[in-house]
Amino acid sequence: MAEELAPKAKREVEEPEQTRPGRTYVPDVDIYEDEHGLWFWADMPGVSQDQVDIELRNNLLTIRGQVLLEDYKGLSPVFTEYNIGNYECRFRLRDTFVFDHDKIKARMVNGVLELEVPKAEQAKPRRIAVTSS
Amino acid sequence: MAVLGMRSFDPLESLFELQRNLDRFLQKPRGIDLGPSGPGVYPPINVFTDGNGIVIRAEVPGVPPNELGVSVQRGSLTISGERRPEAKTGGSYHRRERAFGKFSRTVQLPDELNFEAAQATCRNGILTVRLPTREETKPKQIKIQAS
Repeated sequence: MAEELAPKAKREVEEPEQTRPGRTYVPDVDIYEDEHGLWFWADMPGVSQDQVDIELRNNLLTIRGQVLLEDYKGLSPVFTEYNIGNYECRFRLRDTFVFDHDKIKARMVNGVLELEVPKAEQAKPRRIAVTSS
Repeated sequence: MAVLGMRSFDPLESLFELQRNLDRFLQKPRGIDLGPSGPGVYPPINVFTDGNGIVIRAEVPGVPPNELGVSVQRGSLTISGERRPEAKTGGSYHRRERAFGKFSRTVQLPDELNFEAAQATCRNGILTVRLPTREETKPKQIKIQAS
Protein backbone atom coordinates (compact mmCIF):
# COMPACT_ATOMS: atom_id res chain seq x y z
CA MET A 1 0.00 0.00 0.00
CA ALA A 2 1.67 3.18 -1.17
CA GLU A 3 1.76 5.96 1.34
CA GLU A 4 0.91 9.38 -0.06
CA LEU A 5 2.47 12.63 0.92
CA ALA A 6 0.39 15.48 2.25
CA PRO A 7 1.57 19.07 2.49
CA LYS A 8 2.68 20.31 5.91
CA ALA A 9 2.83 23.92 7.02
CA LYS A 10 6.31 25.13 7.96
CA ARG A 11 6.98 25.76 11.63
CA GLU A 12 8.60 29.00 12.68
CA VAL A 13 11.36 29.41 15.19
CA GLU A 14 9.78 30.65 18.41
CA GLU A 15 12.62 32.48 20.07
CA PRO A 16 12.60 36.16 19.23
CA GLU A 17 16.38 36.41 19.41
CA GLN A 18 17.16 36.62 15.72
CA THR A 19 19.73 39.02 14.37
CA ARG A 20 18.17 39.36 10.94
CA PRO A 21 14.62 40.38 10.08
CA GLY A 22 12.38 37.79 8.52
CA ARG A 23 10.83 34.53 9.55
CA THR A 24 13.11 31.60 10.26
CA TYR A 25 11.77 28.10 10.01
CA VAL A 26 12.44 24.93 11.94
CA PRO A 27 13.19 22.16 9.43
CA ASP A 28 11.67 18.70 9.65
CA VAL A 29 14.35 16.48 11.11
CA ASP A 30 14.90 12.75 11.42
CA ILE A 31 17.41 11.55 13.99
CA TYR A 32 18.80 8.04 13.92
CA GLU A 33 21.32 6.32 16.13
CA ASP A 34 23.21 3.08 15.76
CA GLU A 35 26.38 1.73 17.29
CA HIS A 36 28.50 3.86 14.97
CA GLY A 37 26.99 7.22 15.69
CA LEU A 38 24.17 9.67 15.17
CA TRP A 39 22.59 10.62 11.88
CA PHE A 40 20.54 13.75 11.23
CA TRP A 41 18.50 14.50 8.14
CA ALA A 42 16.94 17.95 7.86
CA ASP A 43 14.69 19.12 5.04
CA MET A 44 16.01 22.50 3.95
CA PRO A 45 14.92 23.00 0.34
CA GLY A 46 16.56 25.94 -1.36
CA VAL A 47 19.72 25.67 0.71
CA SER A 48 22.91 24.75 -1.10
CA GLN A 49 25.97 23.06 0.39
CA ASP A 50 27.82 26.32 1.04
CA GLN A 51 24.83 27.95 2.71
CA VAL A 52 24.78 25.46 5.58
CA ASP A 53 26.34 26.22 8.92
CA ILE A 54 26.81 23.49 11.51
CA GLU A 55 28.13 24.06 14.98
CA LEU A 56 28.73 21.41 17.59
CA ARG A 57 29.93 22.87 20.84
CA ASN A 58 29.57 21.53 24.35
CA ASN A 59 27.22 18.87 23.02
CA LEU A 60 24.88 21.49 21.59
CA LEU A 61 24.34 20.96 17.89
CA THR A 62 23.14 23.99 15.91
CA ILE A 63 22.12 23.69 12.29
CA ARG A 64 21.50 26.76 10.13
CA GLY A 65 20.66 27.00 6.45
CA GLN A 66 20.27 30.10 4.31
CA VAL A 67 18.22 30.44 1.17
CA LEU A 68 19.28 32.69 -1.69
CA LEU A 69 17.25 35.74 -2.60
CA GLU A 70 18.75 35.72 -6.09
CA ASP A 71 16.54 32.76 -6.92
CA TYR A 72 13.60 35.16 -6.76
CA LYS A 73 15.01 38.01 -8.82
CA GLY A 74 12.65 39.15 -11.52
CA LEU A 75 9.77 37.07 -10.22
CA SER A 76 6.41 38.58 -9.27
CA PRO A 77 4.15 36.35 -7.22
CA VAL A 78 0.61 35.77 -8.47
CA PHE A 79 -0.33 32.87 -6.19
CA THR A 80 1.46 31.31 -3.25
CA GLU A 81 0.93 28.33 -1.00
CA TYR A 82 4.13 28.43 0.96
CA ASN A 83 6.56 31.00 2.19
CA ILE A 84 10.34 30.73 2.15
CA GLY A 85 12.95 31.54 4.72
CA ASN A 86 16.12 30.47 6.40
CA TYR A 87 16.24 27.40 8.62
CA GLU A 88 17.53 26.85 12.11
CA CYS A 89 17.34 24.13 14.72
CA ARG A 90 19.22 23.01 17.79
CA PHE A 91 19.69 19.73 19.59
CA ARG A 92 21.26 19.02 22.90
CA LEU A 93 23.13 15.73 22.74
CA ARG A 94 23.37 13.86 25.99
CA ASP A 95 26.54 14.55 27.98
CA THR A 96 27.74 10.99 27.75
CA PHE A 97 27.72 11.15 23.97
CA VAL A 98 31.35 11.27 22.94
CA PHE A 99 31.82 11.96 19.28
CA ASP A 100 34.73 12.02 16.93
CA HIS A 101 35.02 15.66 15.93
CA ASP A 102 37.26 15.03 12.93
CA LYS A 103 34.96 12.47 11.42
CA ILE A 104 31.76 14.54 11.31
CA LYS A 105 30.37 14.61 7.80
CA ALA A 106 27.77 16.98 6.43
CA ARG A 107 26.38 17.37 2.96
CA MET A 108 23.34 18.80 1.25
CA VAL A 109 21.64 16.48 -1.20
CA ASN A 110 18.53 17.68 -3.05
CA GLY A 111 17.70 20.16 -0.31
CA VAL A 112 18.21 17.67 2.52
CA LEU A 113 21.05 18.02 4.99
CA GLU A 114 22.70 14.70 5.84
CA LEU A 115 24.77 14.95 8.96
CA GLU A 116 26.78 12.06 10.36
CA VAL A 117 28.26 12.34 13.85
CA PRO A 118 30.34 9.22 14.54
CA LYS A 119 30.91 8.05 18.07
CA ALA A 120 34.43 8.04 19.38
CA GLU A 121 35.99 4.59 19.48
CA GLN A 122 36.06 4.22 23.21
CA ALA A 123 32.43 5.30 23.45
CA LYS A 124 31.04 2.51 21.30
CA PRO A 125 28.61 0.30 23.18
CA ARG A 126 29.73 -2.94 24.72
CA ARG A 127 27.45 -5.88 24.22
CA ILE A 128 26.23 -7.28 27.48
CA ALA A 129 25.71 -11.03 27.39
CA VAL A 130 22.34 -12.13 28.65
CA THR A 131 22.56 -15.39 30.49
CA SER A 132 19.89 -17.45 32.09
CA SER A 133 20.53 -18.29 35.67
CA MET B 1 -8.66 33.15 -18.73
CA ALA B 2 -6.12 35.77 -19.64
CA VAL B 3 -2.98 36.17 -17.64
CA LEU B 4 -2.91 39.72 -16.47
CA GLY B 5 0.20 41.81 -16.99
CA MET B 6 2.74 41.74 -14.20
CA ARG B 7 2.67 44.11 -11.35
CA SER B 8 6.11 45.45 -10.93
CA PHE B 9 7.40 45.70 -7.44
CA ASP B 10 10.54 46.93 -5.86
CA PRO B 11 13.71 44.92 -6.22
CA LEU B 12 14.18 42.47 -3.38
CA GLU B 13 15.92 44.32 -0.62
CA SER B 14 15.73 41.73 2.02
CA LEU B 15 14.32 38.36 2.85
CA PHE B 16 11.70 40.13 4.91
CA GLU B 17 10.34 41.96 1.88
CA LEU B 18 10.13 38.74 -0.10
CA GLN B 19 8.33 36.98 2.71
CA ARG B 20 5.82 39.79 3.00
CA ASN B 21 5.24 39.69 -0.73
CA LEU B 22 4.69 35.96 -0.74
CA ASP B 23 2.25 36.38 2.14
CA ARG B 24 0.14 38.79 0.13
CA PHE B 25 -0.66 36.12 -2.41
CA LEU B 26 -1.15 33.28 0.04
CA GLN B 27 -4.06 31.19 -1.25
CA LYS B 28 -5.27 34.20 -3.23
CA PRO B 29 -4.61 34.01 -6.94
CA ARG B 30 -4.38 37.48 -8.46
CA GLY B 31 -4.57 37.78 -12.19
CA ILE B 32 -4.32 34.08 -12.86
CA ASP B 33 -6.89 31.34 -13.13
CA LEU B 34 -5.72 28.04 -11.71
CA GLY B 35 -9.04 26.30 -12.19
CA PRO B 36 -9.95 23.76 -9.54
CA SER B 37 -6.42 23.66 -8.07
CA GLY B 38 -6.56 23.98 -4.33
CA PRO B 39 -4.56 23.35 -1.19
CA GLY B 40 -4.04 19.99 0.40
CA VAL B 41 -2.09 18.38 -2.41
CA TYR B 42 1.65 17.81 -2.16
CA PRO B 43 3.78 19.63 -3.17
CA PRO B 44 2.69 23.17 -2.30
CA ILE B 45 3.38 25.50 -5.23
CA ASN B 46 4.19 29.15 -5.73
CA VAL B 47 3.30 30.77 -9.02
CA PHE B 48 5.10 33.81 -10.41
CA THR B 49 5.23 35.88 -13.57
CA ASP B 50 8.62 36.91 -14.92
CA GLY B 51 7.81 39.07 -17.92
CA ASN B 52 7.95 36.13 -20.32
CA GLY B 53 5.26 33.97 -18.87
CA ILE B 54 4.62 31.86 -15.82
CA VAL B 55 7.12 30.38 -13.38
CA ILE B 56 5.96 27.65 -11.02
CA ARG B 57 8.02 26.63 -8.03
CA ALA B 58 7.61 23.68 -5.71
CA GLU B 59 9.67 22.40 -2.80
CA VAL B 60 10.43 18.73 -3.27
CA PRO B 61 13.34 17.98 -0.92
CA GLY B 62 14.82 14.54 -1.01
CA VAL B 63 13.67 13.71 -4.54
CA PRO B 64 16.48 13.27 -7.09
CA PRO B 65 15.76 15.42 -10.18
CA ASN B 66 15.82 12.43 -12.52
CA GLU B 67 13.06 10.80 -10.48
CA LEU B 68 10.71 13.75 -10.68
CA GLY B 69 7.93 13.50 -13.21
CA VAL B 70 6.93 16.80 -14.80
CA SER B 71 4.53 16.74 -17.71
CA VAL B 72 2.50 19.40 -19.42
CA GLN B 73 -0.54 19.16 -21.54
CA ARG B 74 -2.53 22.02 -22.94
CA GLY B 75 -4.16 23.44 -19.90
CA SER B 76 -2.33 21.68 -17.11
CA LEU B 77 0.93 20.80 -15.46
CA THR B 78 1.47 17.58 -13.48
CA ILE B 79 4.23 17.11 -10.93
CA SER B 80 4.79 13.64 -9.55
CA GLY B 81 7.38 11.57 -7.77
CA GLU B 82 8.22 9.67 -4.65
CA ARG B 83 10.15 10.46 -1.50
CA ARG B 84 11.91 7.47 -0.07
CA PRO B 85 13.72 7.35 3.25
CA GLU B 86 17.39 6.47 3.49
CA ALA B 87 17.83 2.78 4.15
CA LYS B 88 19.14 2.32 7.65
CA THR B 89 19.13 -0.86 9.69
CA GLY B 90 20.48 -1.99 13.00
CA GLY B 91 19.78 1.20 14.89
CA SER B 92 16.79 3.17 16.00
CA TYR B 93 15.17 6.55 15.42
CA HIS B 94 15.05 9.23 18.08
CA ARG B 95 12.85 11.42 15.92
CA ARG B 96 10.87 11.10 12.73
CA GLU B 97 9.38 14.29 11.31
CA ARG B 98 9.94 13.94 7.59
CA ALA B 99 7.19 12.34 5.56
CA PHE B 100 7.71 9.85 2.77
CA GLY B 101 5.60 8.51 -0.02
CA LYS B 102 4.31 9.13 -3.49
CA PHE B 103 2.85 12.34 -4.75
CA SER B 104 1.14 13.60 -7.85
CA ARG B 105 -0.35 17.02 -8.34
CA THR B 106 -2.02 18.58 -11.35
CA VAL B 107 -2.35 22.33 -11.73
CA GLN B 108 -4.59 23.91 -14.29
CA LEU B 109 -2.94 26.77 -16.16
CA PRO B 110 -4.05 29.45 -18.63
CA ASP B 111 -4.34 28.54 -22.31
CA GLU B 112 -2.13 31.42 -23.37
CA LEU B 113 0.98 29.53 -22.25
CA ASN B 114 3.27 27.85 -24.73
CA PHE B 115 3.39 24.42 -23.11
CA GLU B 116 5.67 23.14 -25.83
CA ALA B 117 8.38 25.55 -24.70
CA ALA B 118 8.14 24.54 -21.05
CA GLN B 119 11.41 24.09 -19.19
CA ALA B 120 11.99 22.48 -15.84
CA THR B 121 15.02 22.58 -13.58
CA CYS B 122 15.51 21.14 -10.15
CA ARG B 123 18.16 22.35 -7.73
CA ASN B 124 18.58 21.96 -3.98
CA GLY B 125 15.21 20.28 -3.74
CA ILE B 126 13.35 23.05 -5.53
CA LEU B 127 11.60 22.43 -8.82
CA THR B 128 11.17 25.41 -11.15
CA VAL B 129 8.98 25.13 -14.23
CA ARG B 130 8.95 27.99 -16.74
CA LEU B 131 6.19 28.39 -19.28
CA PRO B 132 6.35 31.28 -21.72
CA THR B 133 3.13 32.79 -22.97
CA ARG B 134 1.94 31.59 -26.35
CA GLU B 135 -0.73 29.28 -27.79
CA GLU B 136 -0.19 25.51 -27.52
CA THR B 137 -2.07 22.29 -28.29
CA LYS B 138 0.04 19.14 -27.89
CA PRO B 139 0.96 17.28 -24.72
CA LYS B 140 4.66 17.00 -24.07
CA GLN B 141 6.99 15.22 -21.62
CA ILE B 142 9.65 17.52 -20.23
CA LYS B 143 13.19 16.44 -19.54
CA ILE B 144 14.41 17.73 -16.23
CA GLN B 145 17.90 19.16 -16.05
CA ALA B 146 19.58 19.05 -12.68
CA SER B 147 21.71 22.15 -12.52
